[in-house]
Amino acid sequence: MLRMTNLSKVYRTHMIETHALRGFEIDVREGEFVTVTGPSGSGKTSFLNIAGLLEEFTAGDYVLDGVNVKGLDDNARSRLRNEKLGFIFQGFNLIPDLSLFDNVDVPLRYRGFNASERKKRIEDALAKVGLASRMKHYPAELSGGQQQRVAIARALAGSPKLLLADEPTGNLDSQMARGVMELLEEINAAGTTILMVTHDPELAVRTTRNVHIIDGQVSDLVRKGPSLVQTPVTA
Amino acid sequence: MFGYYFTLGLRSLRRNRALTALMVLTLAVGVAASISTLTILHAMSGDPIPEKSRRLLVPHLDNGQVDGWAPGEKPDDVQMTYQDAVNLLKSGQGERRTVLFGTEMPLEPPRKDMPAFSSAGMAPTRDFFAMFNVRFLHGQPWTEADDARGADVVVLGRAMAEKLFGDANPVGRQIRLMNVPFTVAGVVDYWNPRPRYYKLIGGDTFGGADDFYIPFASAIRHEAGINGGMNCTTKREPGFAGLLASECTWLQFWFETRSSADRADLQSWLDRYAGEQRKLGRLKRNVPTHLYDVMEWMEELKIVGNDNKLSVWLAFGFLALCLVNTIGLLLAKFSVRASEIGVRRALGASRREIFSQFLIETGVIGLAGGLLGLALSFGALALIGMQSTEVAAMARMDWEMLGMTFVLSVAAALLAGLLPTWRACQVTPAIQLKSQ
Amino acid sequence: MEIRPILSALLRNKTGPILVAMQVALSLAILANALYIVNERRAVIARPSGLADEHSTFYVRARNLDTDGHEQRRATFKHEADLLRAVPGVASVAQVSQMPLSQSGWNTSITVDQRQERPSTSASMYLSADSIVHTFGLRLVEGRDFLPAERVELDRKDQAEPPPQIILTRALAEKLWPGVSAIGKSVYFGKQEVARAPQVIGVVEHLQTQSAQIDETGEFSIVMPLQQYGDSSTMFAVRTEPGQRDRVMKEAESVLRKSSATPMILEMRTVDQDRKDRYRGDVALQWMLVTVSLLMLLITCCGIVGMASLWVTQRRKQIGVRRALGARKIDILRYFIVENVMITSGGVFGGVALGLALNQLLVSKLEMARLPAGYLAGGALLFWLIGVIAAYGPAWKAASISPATATRSV
Repeated sequence: MLRMTNLSKVYRTHMIETHALRGFEIDVREGEFVTVTGPSGSGKTSFLNIAGLLEEFTAGDYVLDGVNVKGLDDNARSRLRNEKLGFIFQGFNLIPDLSLFDNVDVPLRYRGFNASERKKRIEDALAKVGLASRMKHYPAELSGGQQQRVAIARALAGSPKLLLADEPTGNLDSQMARGVMELLEEINAAGTTILMVTHDPELAVRTTRNVHIIDGQVSDLVRKGPSLVQTPVTA
Repeated sequence: MFGYYFTLGLRSLRRNRALTALMVLTLAVGVAASISTLTILHAMSGDPIPEKSRRLLVPHLDNGQVDGWAPGEKPDDVQMTYQDAVNLLKSGQGERRTVLFGTEMPLEPPRKDMPAFSSAGMAPTRDFFAMFNVRFLHGQPWTEADDARGADVVVLGRAMAEKLFGDANPVGRQIRLMNVPFTVAGVVDYWNPRPRYYKLIGGDTFGGADDFYIPFASAIRHEAGINGGMNCTTKREPGFAGLLASECTWLQFWFETRSSADRADLQSWLDRYAGEQRKLGRLKRNVPTHLYDVMEWMEELKIVGNDNKLSVWLAFGFLALCLVNTIGLLLAKFSVRASEIGVRRALGASRREIFSQFLIETGVIGLAGGLLGLALSFGALALIGMQSTEVAAMARMDWEMLGMTFVLSVAAALLAGLLPTWRACQVTPAIQLKSQ
Repeated sequence: MEIRPILSALLRNKTGPILVAMQVALSLAILANALYIVNERRAVIARPSGLADEHSTFYVRARNLDTDGHEQRRATFKHEADLLRAVPGVASVAQVSQMPLSQSGWNTSITVDQRQERPSTSASMYLSADSIVHTFGLRLVEGRDFLPAERVELDRKDQAEPPPQIILTRALAEKLWPGVSAIGKSVYFGKQEVARAPQVIGVVEHLQTQSAQIDETGEFSIVMPLQQYGDSSTMFAVRTEPGQRDRVMKEAESVLRKSSATPMILEMRTVDQDRKDRYRGDVALQWMLVTVSLLMLLITCCGIVGMASLWVTQRRKQIGVRRALGARKIDILRYFIVENVMITSGGVFGGVALGLALNQLLVSKLEMARLPAGYLAGGALLFWLIGVIAAYGPAWKAASISPATATRSV
């Protein structure tokens, strides 16, 4: 599904070079639910941005669902994002001036679906997250958990292959967080690959695979059955 | 608290210079446009003689023909015939009265080095000077006897006196007018009310001061050239005598009453006089007579033209635009201060206090705008005055308009600031403190 | 095109858009009216006076301080006219009673039928025993100029009868006898009986009155071959060869002064100067209208740019999210342009309504003319264009916002 080979990301300001990722290697297969953990400043966000085609990388290779991302121009990347990926952010990032219906509609508009197709997809997505009855409401009227569910619906509406979640439960209380996780697990069970960045070790434990990033490099933990198999750090 | 908020306001302005400069400039330009056009309007329509403008009255008798006239139509001319003028002069009505017309005649100076030139003056009766509060620099008005027999005496305007005689006192000297020697009885100090409310018909309303004044009877006797408007509705005999006997209107008449209460009495007398004239067959139309005081007279003659009014409207429309623009800028400016407001509220400021603080800040902008606007107004008035000397005389700022500049600017700023300030108060401290 | 969501988002956040729309509306309303007035005045100022060469025409008011009798004066003036004609560079001289655009002169009311209750109209009177047609260089479109035999000179102390022949301007002829030729028709001045009512023998294309009124009466002039003598002053109109005017003026002055034993008062004015004076106020108004219009355009532009920039800044995160969700740069650009066009459109519609209302006010209160539709239409187009162009900069900035903004916690 997603393969990065020897990827590096360097931020250059006037004087300083920061290596956010170096020699990064990861291979995510279709249908996996991977959590990504690491201390702050480890490069989690950069990894997610690059995986999500939100940023360009300095060196290395990145193949997403069979497409080599390197050298794609901005328009092509946007299209790829739109068709293959879904995003869920820590801060929900719903557009406050739009109704829930219109919020879920946003990525579909860029896809070019016609009006009836869009309507169907939106209704299905909101039904899947249990908020179909509140389609005409606005984000401000919803609780945090509900807002995140709408964000998930938005991510799902375009039938993406890969869902990228950045601390999706970070701003939620434990009960709402559990609800969101259950929803994500349902989605994963239905076949969508999920890559989730999280701080919370409890959540990391729930998934079958955990990737740990320290100083821009990967330490992969795969849970297979009751034991943990760790792949060593690649230099 | 006012001083504290004032200082805060000043400091905040200095912090974001570009935005502040834009706001002050926009406001200043709008204020300058409004004030400069208002100044001219004010000069043109201000009361020229407030102490007695209600007691100086112009009588009007409609001596038009009946043929081709529908009742209710405005008369062709609001001046007076010679016959009516003489009758009214003799009537003794009011405390004082005068009739006058503008005259132009050749003036030969006593100095041999100066050639003869055409000079424009007035031919009033003696009471004119007292009625219009004209001050004398030298000498005094001609005597009543001179007035009655139309003696060859003249009162000079100060500018003309200085041109002819320098700084010397010319009383008793002689100049030649219309080829006739006239003796100087006095010199009038600088007197050039603009508009020339005492003689509004016949052009030169905003022109220079009168060069000279000769007795009305004298001008008539010498058949002086008329510098003004004339309207004849019936045939007139040739010659000056024919003009005097005709129904042509070409004279301006003024009454002065002791108090404004006397106006009603004068009006009834005028009506009776008109009735008599109708019986004599002179006045044909059966219309009421009119009395106009100074402000009504200026209004009747439309001294403030449509173009002046248009300019003022345009300027205020422009100010409105500047105001709306300023509201937008203020909204932007205050919206970025949301966190500051949140903190202040958390620290105990009430909504009213936030309101006061920001409104006063707006007021500071208004003051700054007023200062810049004043400077720009002077510039604008100078530009407008470039048109002609007459307009330049009108385009002068007085203390009233100066004060008005600041009042307008601060009021405009406060008005523009109401919405943004109200918005600022609505900020919920909690939300502001949480999100960064 | 996502018009509905954009519109609904705008409606949720009405204040900013309304302020911009108000600015556009105000500017459009005022601009359309202002420009119309400017053009109107331009047309008024451009009206021909009828003189063939205004730049080469001037006039002299001459006054002798002698004590001569009427006949003597008549001779003196004739002599002075001949002296003027002798000055090199002079094309034609006429002793005239008034000059067009000079704001000083006589009007009379005229009728076409003595039984009429009311006069047909009023017209300006140009009196001269010389050929005004020749000196002014007027263009005859019908009939002819006066013959020498038809020219009359009268002592001022005698009763003046109107001469048997007169010349009218075309506008006046059309007014009095619409659609038919004026030649041979008679006019009457007032009610008194005359031996013969004057007949029209010629029609000139243009001759403005001394006041050059804005309405049709500004072109109602009558030329009479009549000269009244006996006054101590008179007026000579002089047309020079092109380019010679200033030199001729100087020479004419010295020639006239030398010719008189008694002191003489001479006032010389050019037609150019009269034209400038007559339209001074109109020119000043034009300047003011243009200046304010330009300032308004500038301020409105700044208002649009400022507001758009502010929204881009306020919505940084949102823009990043859209990009993350798959919007391309051009999608973002289009979003902001469309948004701005909607706001501007609101302003334009408001502006058209406001402009009409404003015009109505001007017509009723200030005697202005009705605004033709083209000005509001053109103004609407202009502001639409401005709306798009002004929004471009901020929209471009918005499009350059990186999608990574969505994940950053700024």
